[in-house]
Amino acid sequence: MIDFMKYLRLNRIGLVCLIIVVCCPAVALAQSGEAPLGSQTLGRAYWHVFVAYAIAWLLVACWLASISRRLGRVEGRVDDSVDD
Amino acid sequence: MNRSRMKKISIAFGILGVAAILLLHYMVFFWVPTESSMGIVQRIFYIHVPSWWVAFISFGVVALCSGVYLWLGDDRLDAAAVTAAEGGMIFTTIGLLTGPLWGKIAWGAWWTWEPRLTLALLLWFIYLGYFLVRRSTLNLERGKRLAAVVGIIGVLDIPLIHVSVSWLRSLHPEAVVLNPDGPTLDGSMLATLLVGLLAYSLIFVCLFTVRYSTELVDRATQMQDV
Repeated sequence: MIDFMKYLRLNRIGLVCLIIVVCCPAVALAQSGEAPLGSQTLGRAYWHVFVAYAIAWLLVACWLASISRRLGRVEGRVDDSVDD
Repeated sequence: MNRSRMKKISIAFGILGVAAILLLHYMVFFWVPTESSMGIVQRIFYIHVPSWWVAFISFGVVALCSGVYLWLGDDRLDAAAVTAAEGGMIFTTIGLLTGPLWGKIAWGAWWTWEPRLTLALLLWFIYLGYFLVRRSTLNLERGKRLAAVVGIIGVLDIPLIHVSVSWLRSLHPEAVVLNPDGPTLDGSMLATLLVGLLAYSLIFVCLFTVRYSTELVDRATQMQDV
């Protein structure tokens, strides 16, 4: 069980990495325009792409967090029953 | 299947899923060409379609497990159904939120009440009902059976969503992969989409196995308490 919790904590670190991965493309996209450097702005479509990817991974992260919280509760109940 | 084996399976799928996600992001933002008519916003397609793919698979699992649960009464099948329904709701929400982000640029509107979008929203509400029905009665077993019926009825919406583009007047783009004439996508776009489908499927299986094993332990401890 403890190993399993460690595994979930590792998953959280993985999620932080994922968020970084999601954010990096926004920077890359910002640099891919045809305008000369210094005058570039993010077009509206670019923001929509960024927000779509952020929403997708945020919701998956929320599901993971919900599973992790539920697992913690179950672990607590199992520990309590062992102590009793 | 014991918990340690399920843990190994979820870890394996998790590692593969993260690798596939990294590959997907590289392909979407650095490799695949920009679509000529829609421009950059078409890149939403590579997460929008996989989210619906996983949602449909999830609700298929819900219907299958619910049907067999009504037949055999095995509580593990209900646990699998509720786990799949939870995942299905997450991925349906992703599909419903990413679609309008594309639609605002491509159509000039966040939402239109056209057949496919309306049926997709209806699917979300059906599975919201699945969770509400479970808790609507004090008799847990009755709640599970009612939810199983909703889970089976809800899956009937999926074929309607699929054919709505061709059978009804719809604004939504037609199928580009599951097309009678074969895939109409450019090779690199098709490859990116397939990686997206794989990544989402692997992540779903990983989270499903963790959530399912947690649900089983939760139910077992509750039974002990009773």
